[in-house]
Amino acid sequence: MTNNWIDIKNSDVILVMGANPAENHPVSMKWILKAKERGAKLVVVDPRFTRTAAKADIYAAMRSGTDIAFLGGMIKYIIDHHLFFKEYVVDYTNAAFLVNPEFQCADELNGLFSGYDAKTRKYDKKTWAFQMDEKGLPKKDPSLKDPHCVFQLLKRQYSRYTRDKVSQITGTPKNKLLEVYKIFASTGRKDRAGTELYAMGWTQHTIGTQNIKAMSIIQLLLGNIGIAGGGINALRGESNVQGSTDHGLLFNSLPGYLPVANASWVDLKTYIDKNTPKTKDPKSVNWWSNRGKYITSYLKALYGNSATKENDFGYSWLPKLDEGMNCSWLMLFDQMFNGQFEGFFAWGQNPACSGSNAGKVRKALSKLKWMVNVNLFDNETGSFWRGPGENPSDIQTEVFLLPACSSIEKEGSITNSSRLAQWRYKAIDPVGESMPDAEIMNELYFRVKSLYRRKGGMFRDPIFNLTWDYGEKDTKGKVKKVDIHNVAKEINGYYLEDVIDNKANPPKLLGKKGELCATFVHLQDNGATSCGNWIFSQSYTQKDGKIINMMARRKKTDATGLGLFPEWAWCWPVNRRIIYNRASVDPLGRPWDPQRAVIKWNAVKLDPNTKKPGVWEGDVPDGPAPPMADEKGKYPFIMRADGMGAIFGPGLAEGPFPEHYEALECPLPANLMSGQRINPTMKIFHGKTKDSVEDVFASCDIRFPYVATTYRISEHWQTGVLTRHQSWQLEMAPQQFVEISEELARTKGLKNGDKVSVTSIRGKIWAVAIVTSRLRPFKIANSVVHQIGLPWCFGWQFPADGSGGDSSNLLTPTIGDANTMIPETKAFMVNIEKA
Amino acid sequence: MTRKALLISPEICIGCRGCQTACKEWNQLDGVKTSNAGSFENPPDLIPALYNRIRYVEVPTEAEGQRWLFVSQRCMHCGDAGCMKICPAPGALYKTPEGAVAFSKEKCIGCKLCVTACPFDVPRYDKDGKISKCHLCSDRISQGLPPACAKVCPTGAIRYGERDDLIASAKKTGHEKVYGEMDLTGLGALYAFKDAPRLYGMNENPAIPESVIFWNNILKPLSYLGLGGAVALALIHYVAFGPKKNEEVTRDE
Amino acid sequence: MSNMIRKAGPFEIVNHWALAISFFALVLSGFGFLFHLEQMNALFGSFSRMRFIHNWAGVIFMVSLFLTMFTYLPVSLRLGSDDIGWILKAGGYLSKKAVVPPQDIINTGQKLYYLVFLLTGSAISASGLGIWFIAGVKKWVLISHLVHNISFDLLVTIIPLHIYLGTLANPGTFRIMVYGTVPLEWARKRHEKWVRRMGY
Ligand code: HEM
Ligand code: SF4
Ligand code: SF4
Ligand code: SF4
Repeated sequence: MTNNWIDIKNSDVILVMGANPAENHPVSMKWILKAKERGAKLVVVDPRFTRTAAKADIYAAMRSGTDIAFLGGMIKYIIDHHLFFKEYVVDYTNAAFLVNPEFQCADELNGLFSGYDAKTRKYDKKTWAFQMDEKGLPKKDPSLKDPHCVFQLLKRQYSRYTRDKVSQITGTPKNKLLEVYKIFASTGRKDRAGTELYAMGWTQHTIGTQNIKAMSIIQLLLGNIGIAGGGINALRGESNVQGSTDHGLLFNSLPGYLPVANASWVDLKTYIDKNTPKTKDPKSVNWWSNRGKYITSYLKALYGNSATKENDFGYSWLPKLDEGMNCSWLMLFDQMFNGQFEGFFAWGQNPACSGSNAGKVRKALSKLKWMVNVNLFDNETGSFWRGPGENPSDIQTEVFLLPACSSIEKEGSITNSSRLAQWRYKAIDPVGESMPDAEIMNELYFRVKSLYRRKGGMFRDPIFNLTWDYGEKDTKGKVKKVDIHNVAKEINGYYLEDVIDNKANPPKLLGKKGELCATFVHLQDNGATSCGNWIFSQSYTQKDGKIINMMARRKKTDATGLGLFPEWAWCWPVNRRIIYNRASVDPLGRPWDPQRAVIKWNAVKLDPNTKKPGVWEGDVPDGPAPPMADEKGKYPFIMRADGMGAIFGPGLAEGPFPEHYEALECPLPANLMSGQRINPTMKIFHGKTKDSVEDVFASCDIRFPYVATTYRISEHWQTGVLTRHQSWQLEMAPQQFVEISEELARTKGLKNGDKVSVTSIRGKIWAVAIVTSRLRPFKIANSVVHQIGLPWCFGWQFPADGSGGDSSNLLTPTIGDANTMIPETKAFMVNIEKA
Repeated sequence: MTRKALLISPEICIGCRGCQTACKEWNQLDGVKTSNAGSFENPPDLIPALYNRIRYVEVPTEAEGQRWLFVSQRCMHCGDAGCMKICPAPGALYKTPEGAVAFSKEKCIGCKLCVTACPFDVPRYDKDGKISKCHLCSDRISQGLPPACAKVCPTGAIRYGERDDLIASAKKTGHEKVYGEMDLTGLGALYAFKDAPRLYGMNENPAIPESVIFWNNILKPLSYLGLGGAVALALIHYVAFGPKKNEEVTRDE
Repeated sequence: MSNMIRKAGPFEIVNHWALAISFFALVLSGFGFLFHLEQMNALFGSFSRMRFIHNWAGVIFMVSLFLTMFTYLPVSLRLGSDDIGWILKAGGYLSKKAVVPPQDIINTGQKLYYLVFLLTGSAISASGLGIWFIAGVKKWVLISHLVHNISFDLLVTIIPLHIYLGTLANPGTFRIMVYGTVPLEWARKRHEKWVRRMGY
């Protein structure tokens, strides 16, 4: 989230698209409804009329997978009617930047951008660049008239996204499109704020990242980024999923979104060079120029005293990816399926149900020699060998279950979508033999280490040099009990030496050796500081010698009235509750909307640090520099090298602007927008053998005529491992169901409550039909397209009598977003028949 | 003590059923085996192990578009409670100082009369035949805690507080008529409906069955009167005429 | 004691007691229910127990009521001119001088009382069973409840009179419930028709 949960209440128009907060983030509805109480409008765009839609002022139905068409139409509407926030667009975004004249938009190249290579399915991004002036700064046309400026290219790109065309593709009636566009575009005014809430409904598509990119463009055009009640807000589907990505859960990121090293980056210097963006613009903060400090401090946290300047702070001990190697979830399971893995830790997950194309996943598990299932309960993954259609005697995989304890049986922090790290306490002792994850890791670490000691082995340095000071050690050197506070402190970081600011006059002591770091601003690239995760620096800190766990704060003061609650727990970065907040003020530091001032520049008040006049009031600003118009002022988007909000974004695989492509499996023979039916850059899986039935797809295939999507419901949690064992939850939602329209039911001769079978080319499940007017057929081009919906919270193992059904992921395809490899489970093709 | 109540606002109920679970958790009610009958709504009716359930009402209207309404169904804590009126066992149903209609399984004799007198068809009976229904978390509110369902509700669709304040606040948010303000000398579960209550499956004019009122007001006192009258008559006769001693009886020869 | 005549056999005596005792239990518990008389706890232990006793006393009452029909129903239905005479003289209860027409084994008042009692007794039994067993069918429970209580009101009115008439008002009557016999002379005065029929 750029903003935070509570901030939704400050919004005037809340667009929910790609999410279903009422069912999956119920607490957020508190703030949505608070906003509505103030007169805000809730707009819900979804293929199904959901529980969120039930609270909407405007509901627009849209065929799964056509979000970019829908949003592209909105971009066109905003530009055509001059509803964008001109000052903001010119001053704070790259709209005025001039692009390489050789760059070509998708409207010129029939759905492709310049630089495409069909063989590699990749773009050469050479032309996707800005023209530079002699000072090395991007050339600009603040009038936005130059045909090569981003704004004009944007206009051109979306000129094809007329309401007629969009309606034909999305199935949304034209008047509904207009209604949505009108209300959301109304937030382009200074005194109006619009926010967007999305979740898996946007990410789980082959064009997932571009869905979000399209919305970012809209929010930048309307000046909705950085302001209270604005932003583009990912509703994380688990209480701590933000925390897990912050701490390097993904294969390509280390804690704090530092990239995982690549084998070709041979030393630390290369790593830093490759990952430190440069700018010649003195007004750009270019925050990532600090990369070297963060990676060095991270290495110091990992390897402690063993990390020295001489040995590159142990950089060579970091695990590395081969160049171009992708270890995303889909790829791992593909490799596992092809027998390339011996063992697998399924830690806190249930891929046999959650994995797209779960049939392939289940087969992949059988290729393993061993699997360790770390979970609260046994699940369909740990018991895959005795699942439906499996013959246990054919399966050689040895499965171990390590019972983990739940969050209430241990102490620690969780980080929610608001980037808010909150400390939680243990309520009860772990049940039975279960252990906190940290203890399980402690055991593993100690055993691996002693195995190395006894038997030797390759590449022992990273294991032996790892710091593991999480508690008192026994005679064998094993930590007896992990003190989770020590982990939190390591994440925050320490001053390993006295850190002195030599630029200050006279030089000033920033931090005393041995104390906890006060902020990431103090981190050093010379080994004088350690920090496990730079964005969390300040979360567990020390002031005047006193150690303070900032995450455990519980003060309910809210001076701005915006619901920032700055003394409730702690949020990254440096407790900034709304990021990019420098974009909420004009270049002189005056809030665009004084009624909702996130920050404002007070030119007369003395800065308590520098003792000079001029200080920001309100939220923690994105950097202390004076407003942009000041000679020492800075641009608002500090994480970007050029300091500007990126309307033109060359970073993504498919192109600098989002373009509508159909889902891999879709009901149409062709893309109505261009000659390019599907995402030209996504990786397509091909079965290893000719008769392989795993990686098969059926698009525009009469055997599978209906569009399907999957989702969660409030009554169950993810694959249901936690909730299907809970009889109260099961009582409310006992069985796999499929939602279908009355029209489809009529065509298929189905009645409400009938048991039906739903099949895709990959698999088959049974479900109870919920026949409802909440789903309606779409008019796509000149035909009728039916859409159905399936929850994915059920599994064969529990309820034990099998009455719950099995995972709808048995139907979903093995295909991922071209940037993130998030599987496309939100749009695929199925058939439905009475069982 | 002033009267407390719940204010239920379906307009901000999101049908998440947190309240349905929280109630079962607080009251330690068993999970029941159900099946999906083609609806989100489940179980399909109140049962002994379910004091509070969310009704899902789909209202497809051509003109206004689709609607999906959610509303909590439970005991209304009637001011004039039919269940209490008809109950033959003292203390089985009782009013708490806050105005809740609570029950005691010990005192309940399992006669199942209360459901017949309830205008809302609320009481259910457990496997021992004892009453089971929402008791406004009498064990929580007596300790100054809000009822479990109100506490867990993420949107404030179930709010607990001073009855008068709740009515005033509902009126302030544009609900001229608060369902339950006057009915049955005021309900302890108030509903802020903007639509007709019927749409939510609610009785427009809840009333205790007339036979129960007749019985309560007439038949009950009459029994004392009848008994007393008969005894008095016998007494008067005895004094006025005395016993028919055998000697005094004459035969029609 | 040679000039005694047997008016009630052992069967009738036992049945009458069963009826009376069950009835007392029913009335006491009935009042207990109606007016939440917690004093009844002293008698019955608890209200649950009281319900149990009430319901099973009800069963005894019902059976016993049924059995009374063999004894009293035929004669009660045999109404004639003497009965009209009896009524016109108010059974002789309003004057010591009044002479009533000769009566059968039970007199007109007793016949009428029996018929009313049988009817209300049946009603209260049937409705009692209704409340007991058809819980759930709201309408019928409500009707049963109503009938149960209307009959209760009637019963608690007529029974005390019945008791009064069978004890204080007519000395010598109560022994029928104990011995079943009455002096022939006593019987001749009150149940002449019967006595004659019996051949005395
Ligand atoms: C076959 C006979 C009877 C049956 C099965 C029966 C059953 C019942 C039942 C089920 C109730 C409801 C409360 C409870 O369950 O205890 C009840 C209540 C009552 N019964 Fe009976 N009963 C019978 C005969 C009588 C008789 C003979 C009397 C009185 C003369 C009587 C007086 C009452 C009264 C006063 C109540 C309370 C009414 C109320 O609170 O609704 N019952 N009876
Ligand atoms: S709703 Fe029914 S059970 Fe609840 S108090 Fe009213 S009459 Fe009694
Ligand atoms: S008040 Fe208590 S008993 Fe009643 S529904 Fe709510 S949680 Fe259940
Ligand atoms: S918790 Fe609140 S919002 Fe959710 S269903 Fe219950 S009443 Fe409705």
